Amino acid sequence: MPENSSLPRFAVLQLSGCAGCEVSLINASEWVDQYQLVYMPLVVSTHAVPEDTEVLLVSGGVRNDEDVYNLRRSVEIVERVVAVGTCAISGGVANLGDRDEVRAMFMAQENRHHLPHLLPKSHPIDAFVDVDLYLPGCPPTPELFMAALTNPENFEASSIVCSECKRQKLKDMRPEHLLGFQQGEVQPEICLINQGYLCVGSSVRGGCRAICTRPGHPCVGCRGPSDAYIEKESQVWFDRVQNVFERLTDIPPKEIQTALHSPQLSLFLFQFTDYADGERPPRPKEKVL
Amino acid sequence: MATLRFPLSRIEGHARVEMEVHDGQVVTAHFQAIEMRGFRYFMQGTPAEQMPVIVPRICGVCSTAHHVASVKALEDIFEVEPPDLAKEIRELLLLGQLIQNQATSLFIFTMPDRVGASSLFHMDESEANPEQQLSLARRSLKVRQVGTNLITLAGGQFIHPIKAVIGGVTSGIQREPAEAMRQEIETLLPMACQLFDEYWDMSLAMGERIGTWGDDQPAYYIASTGRTRPLLNSNLIRVLGPDGAERASFPPSLFRHYLDYEETVYSYAGQTSYQGQVMRANSLARINLALSMGTPLADGYLEKLTHTFGKPAHPILLFDLCRGIELVYAFERALEILSKDLDYEDTEVPYALKDGEGYGLVEAPRGPLIHHYTVKNGLIEDAEFVIPTVHNMLAIERALKVAGERYISPKAINLELEKAVGRVVRAFDPCIACATQ
Repeated sequence: MPENSSLPRFAVLQLSGCAGCEVSLINASEWVDQYQLVYMPLVVSTHAVPEDTEVLLVSGGVRNDEDVYNLRRSVEIVERVVAVGTCAISGGVANLGDRDEVRAMFMAQENRHHLPHLLPKSHPIDAFVDVDLYLPGCPPTPELFMAALTNPENFEASSIVCSECKRQKLKDMRPEHLLGFQQGEVQPEICLINQGYLCVGSSVRGGCRAICTRPGHPCVGCRGPSDAYIEKESQVWFDRVQNVFERLTDIPPKEIQTALHSPQLSLFLFQFTDYADGERPPRPKEKVL
Repeated sequence: MATLRFPLSRIEGHARVEMEVHDGQVVTAHFQAIEMRGFRYFMQGTPAEQMPVIVPRICGVCSTAHHVASVKALEDIFEVEPPDLAKEIRELLLLGQLIQNQATSLFIFTMPDRVGASSLFHMDESEANPEQQLSLARRSLKVRQVGTNLITLAGGQFIHPIKAVIGGVTSGIQREPAEAMRQEIETLLPMACQLFDEYWDMSLAMGERIGTWGDDQPAYYIASTGRTRPLLNSNLIRVLGPDGAERASFPPSLFRHYLDYEETVYSYAGQTSYQGQVMRANSLARINLALSMGTPLADGYLEKLTHTFGKPAHPILLFDLCRGIELVYAFERALEILSKDLDYEDTEVPYALKDGEGYGLVEAPRGPLIHHYTVKNGLIEDAEFVIPTVHNMLAIERALKVAGERYISPKAINLELEKAVGRVVRAFDPCIACATQ
């Protein structure tokens, strides 16, 4: 993979995040033969996105002024911008810090020398620049990364996680209360909702191949709303999940409602633009992989 | 007074080095962590049971360690002890993390330094014959992939695992996938050893070329590991003195009695010392604290290291060689565990929510990681993350100063300094996302 290779060139801009997306990309090692990676601080020692870069993957949220600068400067010289992972798409788990008492503690960090200044909250990248493709997931799987790089149009996936999970939904197994994620022994092959877990895979975008629910952990929705809900208000989605639970369980609606608003779903909920902040229009489903 | 600023790459996260130089003397060498997301703050108020899903997002490189530490902290509060099967699967998870991390640090972060390339993907591959021999990059990724596959098998999700739960694990590992994983590891173990041998030779050549193995002053060493074999999932932290004698051994709840923590104004990460003294965590600490690795191939490498460099060994570039020994160990140890029956019912014990204070300790690839939670009314009142990279901050800065003094004179700055700064920082393999959270 010499420098003068004629392979298409791509770059990865890492903003404030956990590097999990980058690790997933490294796991998707097939790109090594098809692309030339020209910039990605985690693995390449170059200090800016070079000219003639075709695709820019952006991971992480915009958390400080240096993130804003690097983002704006980098998108100018590329052909296609892909927002990768929940942080770049919605600000991610750091959105939990978007409340007054937490902001005050952040801002108390400001008396530092020669460091980037923190913004009051974590922003999605489309608050600052135009995005051509959104690749949700926390992180997106290697398969999704390869699809985003090569042929987003031809990627085949179910519309929701449920269809990829294939655990069986039973009519006669109706829990009366939520178990919380951590409790109880998970039974194989039976829908996690029937077992009393708060699983939201019924209206979460497929394509992850149900890697959490298959081994027995409820879906926390990191892939975001499915096409049926992505352009709607978050309340429509809440009602839908409520319906699913009413159909399959006898859990009191109030209990579901409270649980749905808890931090475990923060990766998901903030992908609704009206849930994160009321102003931005929803992302069009055609642009989401 | 002049300020030299070095951007950094091939490390996890955003950091840089700033050196103040006056009359050819290095006045200060600061390692700056330049990002922060604020997990400690925004975790407050979270239902305690949700922590094991959220905290892996502190870091996608160290996520497995956070996942297990979080579960252990909550088990400490709820006073439950997971069954043996759960402990085996958690050890597999941590071994997967160790393989993935040490392979990343060895081949992706530091191997390019040994040959003067900008990345593993830009190394001169002219000698690689695609038909007979896979290129270094492809072989490295294959060996690294073993770690990823092991995390996926033992943890469910491949970056932010989900299978460890309070009281145990969600499921065991069925015989068929366990056997497939065992075979993959067995097949790739020779490749891992071969890569490490090449890496070892490249390191010796580099040591000769640059004439140093970096800061070799004695230091304290801290790790949560065993004496005769590595333990990644124990409940004790051990400290070795600069002379090689063990100085302390304590549970995570007592860390404040032994370690002093300070914030700095030039970095979003703080720094810890062992009672005011420079200490080091990560691979070299574990190897200095170990009499043996407990597996044959890793023990062979340990003997070679001790024979060549003595024990305790202090030069910082040995951190890199120690990672290779641990890579081999983790392959061998995973083979042992995967040969056992991991598919029976006893995966977890029940628990009841309880308020209180608890500590969860694991040995992460970068050193001992502690999660310290206070739970009130079922919610997190405070979540403190005691991060291995933070234990290395003083040692990193001391080593940077040593490098600065080597390459800066009153007359000139040798441009090798920029490379030296990269080598020093990468030897410690710092994780900035963790250090700042």
